[in-house]
Amino acid sequence: MLEFRGVSAGYGTVPVLRGVDLRVPSGATVALLGANGAGKTTLLRTAAGLIRPTGGEVIFDGQRVDHEPYHLRARRGLCLLPEGRGIFRDLTVRDNLTMFGAGLKTSDVVKIAVDAFPILEEKLNVPAGSLSGGQQQMVSVVRALLPGTSVVLADELSVGLAPVVVDEIFDVVLRLKASGRSLLIVEQYVDRVLQVADYVYILHKGRVAFVGEPEQCLHTEIFDQYVGAAAHS
Amino acid sequence: MRAYLPFIVIGVFTGSLYALAAAGLVLTYKTSGVFNFAHGAVGMFSAYVFFHFHVSWGWPTLPSILIAVLGFAPLMGILLDRGLLRWLEGAGAVAYIVATLGLLVLLQGLAVVWKTGERFTIAPYFPLDKHRIGDVFVTTEQLLVVGIVLAVGLALVAFFRFTTLGLKTRAVVTNRELTGLVGTNSGAVTTGSWILGCVIAALSAVLFVPTLGLDPVNLTLLVLTAVAAATAGRLTNLPVTMVAGFALGVAQSLTTKAVAPHLGLLGIPSSLPFIVLFLIMVFSPKRAFKTATGGEEKTGTGVVGPEKIRLGSIAVVTAGAVFLPAVLKEFQLVTATHTVAMVLIFASLSLLVGLGREISLCHAIFAGFAATTLSHFLSAGVPYLPALILAALVMVPVAALVAIPSLRLSGLFLALATFGFGKMVQDILFPTSLAFGRSGVAAIPRPSLFHGPVAFYYLVLGMTVAGVLVVEVVRVGRLGRILRAVADSPTAIQSLGVNPTASRVFVFCLSAFLAGLGGGLIGSLFQNINPSSFEFSQSLLWVTVLVAAGARTFGGSVTAAVLLIAAPAFIRSETITLWQPVAFGLTAMIMAQLPNGLVGLVSRQPDWSRLAAQARWRQDRRRATERYVNVVLAQAGTAER
Repeated sequence: MLEFRGVSAGYGTVPVLRGVDLRVPSGATVALLGANGAGKTTLLRTAAGLIRPTGGEVIFDGQRVDHEPYHLRARRGLCLLPEGRGIFRDLTVRDNLTMFGAGLKTSDVVKIAVDAFPILEEKLNVPAGSLSGGQQQMVSVVRALLPGTSVVLADELSVGLAPVVVDEIFDVVLRLKASGRSLLIVEQYVDRVLQVADYVYILHKGRVAFVGEPEQCLHTEIFDQYVGAAAHS
Repeated sequence: MRAYLPFIVIGVFTGSLYALAAAGLVLTYKTSGVFNFAHGAVGMFSAYVFFHFHVSWGWPTLPSILIAVLGFAPLMGILLDRGLLRWLEGAGAVAYIVATLGLLVLLQGLAVVWKTGERFTIAPYFPLDKHRIGDVFVTTEQLLVVGIVLAVGLALVAFFRFTTLGLKTRAVVTNRELTGLVGTNSGAVTTGSWILGCVIAALSAVLFVPTLGLDPVNLTLLVLTAVAAATAGRLTNLPVTMVAGFALGVAQSLTTKAVAPHLGLLGIPSSLPFIVLFLIMVFSPKRAFKTATGGEEKTGTGVVGPEKIRLGSIAVVTAGAVFLPAVLKEFQLVTATHTVAMVLIFASLSLLVGLGREISLCHAIFAGFAATTLSHFLSAGVPYLPALILAALVMVPVAALVAIPSLRLSGLFLALATFGFGKMVQDILFPTSLAFGRSGVAAIPRPSLFHGPVAFYYLVLGMTVAGVLVVEVVRVGRLGRILRAVADSPTAIQSLGVNPTASRVFVFCLSAFLAGLGGGLIGSLFQNINPSSFEFSQSLLWVTVLVAAGARTFGGSVTAAVLLIAAPAFIRSETITLWQPVAFGLTAMIMAQLPNGLVGLVSRQPDWSRLAAQARWRQDRRRATERYVNVVLAQAGTAER
């Protein structure tokens, strides 16, 4: 379980998050929505430890982690899939998988990867940077599927991908949900993420403007005001 | 052919030294993006540690080597990474260059303080008995050393290919942030590679100290040869770098044989690395070093809003200087004149370092070369002032020759190119009749109108004030604005239709011209100069002094000149003179990321905690940019498909 209590964070002297309270209960899928610049990515990066909060507490599995370096949080099972592609472009796919599964056998990681995305089997010895955008994202998502990952923070997984590939990635999201992992998802395809989400948070200018279930939010003013236009365009 | 074989053997032997040193340099540059100018100096100081245990305390060879290579060097690596580089994280490429130069000056200074600057010889560790292989004799030492180097090279390649730690290091190089996100401590990996880099530097120094002898200069300059080999490997490719190191050694040895009959060409072998570096720079496509230097950060100059000419402070300082001859004794006036001329040189350097965020490591050579050119013009009968200006003008094409090929690539290459160029001019050009000639002395008479010490002082003061005003006009004008913009974002300035390289080359040439004026004046002050009056290594000290004092404003140039020339002459304490380089080096390391050095400290107290916060912010910003670029690349990739 991941929890934010009154978290503020920002870049240098510019505040982005202003006292955010947020909960991702165990096994739940939470959609994080908001206009550009609302602070969604900052929130995920603060959760993962890439940004130090200037105030408040980040709690993971009952322990405060906001002063823990990010590699230690990753070892606890917190997995940020960053915007863009979370891959080592110059390493082969196999080396990428070895890096992802520190402590696991590479052959096991490869099995998980190929099981989820059969196409990767023939790409194992190719530099990851030379794969297509969709395949790169597949490699990146494998990290969330590894045993030991308990909370997945997904930042715009579908950016720049063809619709077919987006379907494939969302299938994996469903599998992650079915496997009991907690998910915190930032996503441009609002309709699709609302179909899988248990809870919805809407951020506005660094504050939580709405918390509720997907059905509630669809018809609220806030949704139309901050997300609606973007979602339906 | 047979006559060349022994030279090839010697070449392979020295080449193994270059290969090893270059491998260490590439290793740290690749994993941390920091080009360590002090790489040779770290090796040099490790060799002194070895010397201390082995010779001063009489320890046996092997334990002494182990202490230097596996005890001291790793400690140095940890200190460097955890202390210096973490403190500078994200402060930009120039801050790293200045900081590692500061370290170089500091280590050299410490070596002199510790063991004097004297040259020591060390008995060979390995037997010198000769073996006949085919037509050539090879010593056991040569065989063993080359064997050790090859083994280390293979071990390094295997380390990167086959070990988990090697994979982690490659992962950090590719994407530092993601390495952390998958649970690997990327900081520890970087520290590891600095430890390894320092160990290799120490190993190369200790292995070759019986051949080269031990002094504070020789091993420090090893970095220069290593640079050429590393550039051949595009600063990233370890095997190519090592092969290039061997090739350089052989080429150098063969050139030595070829030029042996010609006395005037004796400087060529030692300058060969620079010639190679220069050729690689000229013939490399612009994108060749993109992957290596693409991560170089631009951080701007920190100047916000329009700049004003600091007429007030210039007027006050000049007024003070005008009254100096009234209170000073004659020998003190010489120091004062020297100081004022140095203000001009520091002002020329501040145009580069403070305004353009570029580093020149050959300004002492510009000054010296202009002084000798002035001497030639004067003896040809040209009147003094036209001769002085002409001599300084000669520096303009010379400067363009260095700046154009290197600035195309990046600011780091300007620093590297000037570093090598300085050494080459000193070795090849200075001994010829174009400069000092065979006698090694150039006579530069003062103009008859300004012959007396007081009159000459006023001439120097006048020229310096004029030069400083030129610098100020450039700083506040359009060119200054362009340079500040280039330092901030070369891409943005290009999108406005300005050619950033042309502006940078122009300023470099202007700076060389002003340095030439300063050099000519200093030459006339002493009336006779020799090559050691303007040694190229002084350029390194000048940069560190200027950064320590403050590179951005007029006040910094004055402070730098006073600290370097006036203070030691007036205080006249041997301890202070001895510790001066140490203090300058240390201060430059601390001040590397402050916009305006000591002067900036006095005029505005920096907020240290804010500086630390800014460093963190810059880290975040850098990552954000990387992320953005990744997105754009990924989108472009998808669009293609």
